[in-house]
Amino acid sequence: MNIDNTASQMRKGVLEFCILSIIKLGEAYPSDIIDMMKSANLNILEGTLYPLLTRLKNAEFLTYRWVESNSGPPRKYFSLTEKGAEFYKELEATWLELASAVETITGKKEINQ
Amino acid sequence: MKKVININFQGTVVPIEESSYELLKQYIESLRRYFANEEGKDEIINDIESRISELFQERLKNGSTCITDDDVNAIIKNMGRPEDFEEEEKGEPTENNKSDNSKKERTESLFNENWSWKGKRLYRDDNHKILGGVCSGIAAYLGIDPVIVRIVFIISGIGFLAYILLWIFVPGSNMLENGVRKRLYRNPDEKIIGGVCSGIGSYFNINPWIPRVLFLIPFISFFFRWGHFGPLTFPHFVSFSFSPGTFIIYIILWLVIPEATTTSEKLEMKGEKVDLNSIKNSVMKEMKEVGERVGKLGAQAGEIAKERGPVIGQEIHIAAKKSSGVLGNIIVTIFKVFIYFILGTIALALIIALFALAIVAIGLFPLKNFVLTEGWQSVFAWGTLIFFIGVPVVGIITFIIRRIARIKTSNKLMRYSFSGLWILGIVCFVSLITSMGRDFRSSSSMNTEPIILINPHVKTLEVAPFLNNNYNRSNNWFRLEPFATFGIEDDTAYISNVRIRIEKSTTDSFQVNIMKTCNGRTRRYADTLAALINFNVSQNDSILMMDRAIAINTTDKFRNQYVEITIGVPVGHHIKINKSFSNRMNVRFNAFGEGDNWDWNNDDDNDFDYKYGIEYVMKEDGLYTLDGIPSNEESDWNKSSTQDNKYNEGSGNDQNYRYNGSNKIDSLKNIQEKQIQKMQAAVDSLKAAREKEVIRMKDSLEKAKEEIDHKIEKLDKGTAIHSESFSPNSNENYSFIMNI
Repeated sequence: MNIDNTASQMRKGVLEFCILSIIKLGEAYPSDIIDMMKSANLNILEGTLYPLLTRLKNAEFLTYRWVESNSGPPRKYFSLTEKGAEFYKELEATWLELASAVETITGKKEINQ
Repeated sequence: MKKVININFQGTVVPIEESSYELLKQYIESLRRYFANEEGKDEIINDIESRISELFQERLKNGSTCITDDDVNAIIKNMGRPEDFEEEEKGEPTENNKSDNSKKERTESLFNENWSWKGKRLYRDDNHKILGGVCSGIAAYLGIDPVIVRIVFIISGIGFLAYILLWIFVPGSNMLENGVRKRLYRNPDEKIIGGVCSGIGSYFNINPWIPRVLFLIPFISFFFRWGHFGPLTFPHFVSFSFSPGTFIIYIILWLVIPEATTTSEKLEMKGEKVDLNSIKNSVMKEMKEVGERVGKLGAQAGEIAKERGPVIGQEIHIAAKKSSGVLGNIIVTIFKVFIYFILGTIALALIIALFALAIVAIGLFPLKNFVLTEGWQSVFAWGTLIFFIGVPVVGIITFIIRRIARIKTSNKLMRYSFSGLWILGIVCFVSLITSMGRDFRSSSSMNTEPIILINPHVKTLEVAPFLNNNYNRSNNWFRLEPFATFGIEDDTAYISNVRIRIEKSTTDSFQVNIMKTCNGRTRRYADTLAALINFNVSQNDSILMMDRAIAINTTDKFRNQYVEITIGVPVGHHIKINKSFSNRMNVRFNAFGEGDNWDWNNDDDNDFDYKYGIEYVMKEDGLYTLDGIPSNEESDWNKSSTQDNKYNEGSGNDQNYRYNGSNKIDSLKNIQEKQIQKMQAAVDSLKAAREKEVIRMKDSLEKAKEEIDHKIEKLDKGTAIHSESFSPNSNENYSFIMNI
């Protein structure tokens, strides 16, 4: 076992959640999403993002629309669907549970407290 | 200075350096492969290309005239290479916690790490079926390659019925995924004949030579057998038979096991992880090979191939392989098999000859003392054994071991020393032969001595062996005529080199003559040795006892001692040969100077010649059994000139001429008539010969008479004629000659 593997496992768990939360704020396109993740110190590769977005779209949590741009090819702008919003709520609940549980356990001073 | 091309990328025209274009192409290809099984892969790739195009536009807008290698590399770094993508971690079984895209598993490896155990139930595999998917299903259940299951089915002959039962009763399933990582293929890159053994070796992770040897060994089955081979009798444990069984198995495997043509198949064959990395590596490697090969085809073809890129390259690779002559391959293979077969047989024959020689030498070992004189000969003999025979044997064994263990080092020192020792062995061998030859060069003069019989007038004589001699049962499994010894005690060996002749006696009593002879370095030596031959014959009433073999000891060595006993049987008397002379005895009984018959020492009965234990009666014209069958029916007679032709006298003992049954009468009559004719012819010729002799003698007598008269006249004339004495009997000359 090495730290990279475990770390990336942890990351994988929360990736979807983070992305959905960004898109929840408003329409976003992939490049934007990556920038925002970067600013929060959660780096993600485009090659990871795109498939993920596609899957979420296929699961009907996201939809997109094409926006023409004068500097380059048209872009996809993603936004949450209703299903997506519900899914997001569940994810949020799960995350909060998890976070507090972890906090509690790591905060303990001795066994069987 | 680099060439720049224009590409139509996502709806816009982008000027890009040629090399950069290559890089881009490769990257996108790698993505394509990575997402090959992803649902919506086209969309994903499209999105990514879109993004890249955007970045291109940015750069161009910022003032670059075209996209360079640096640009492309930077972009790729940003996007990340497929192996960096996080979605599927290698080695860890992922849970489908998000979408129900169950094909996610396929992304990473073409063959699943996850076993869909399905509670470990046996299903037929409908997706991978050849007939009914039975074997595939079994293979999936057990986790082995379905090819193996099929082979086992065929070979073990479980039978059609079992297969059909399984087909009916085992449910089929569409969802079976064979979690096997390692499959059995034939290896086309390392093949000797068909790559069967290489493939087996790869699958089981053993050296491919091991299955090859296993296939070859049953080809040659060794077994023990007593065999007769003319005068030699020795166990045939070097007879070999070719069992076609393994050959057939090999051919079946050749047909059934598929050949690993594509890269992924080859990787599976070796059991390596089939994922993007390994595929990339092996593809790269193969592409290098293709590049070289294509270079030979011509510069233009090479350019085209390079332009079109690795995909086409792969296709050409496969095509080139196939087109390098399917037919040619077959012919070459057949040829190779043929040549290997012949070479192998020759080599094997040589090896076996060598081993046989070694065994012969070992078998002869106990006789060593009797044959070889001390001193140089002994040394030569040892030298021959060790160097001439031993060295090649050791050398061959070493060679075989090294081949099997794949030790490639060729030790020059070893090679030279082996050859040198072997040459020394040849020298020893030659000197041994010459030295031994010298010892056997002269043969003694064949003097015949009569043996005094106590009672030569007995009616019947029976030839029987001395039974007091302690002849051990020969435990030699190796008998060599005339050495068929009875066994060797410490310093005495017995040679059954004895022949007994039965003739008609010139008188009316039995006569026994013995002749001893042997070889030696000089004639005198030989004579001395001959006189020392120890062979006893004595008469005890009506039994003539004699030794069964010649005893020699280590002082007087074996020098082909040979004893011949001639028994003259008077007409009307009987002679019988005791049964204990038969079988291993090899005492030969001849009549009337017939030649040697090697066939005589067979254990099977002869349909002519002497039968042991039967009484024979000597008549005027030969030995007859008491039933009137002549003893040597089938052979021509050599009438000795001493025989008188009182042919028709009729034997005096007609009462011994018994017929044994009327059904023999006719055959006997025929036989008799034939013999009568023969007799007539012989008699006539003899008569003629005698006439001639008589005339000749008369003539010579006349001439002699004339000469003598002539001489007398001369004498009378008073001239002193010094007549030379022609008499060769002057003693001086005689002894001079005899002493050479």
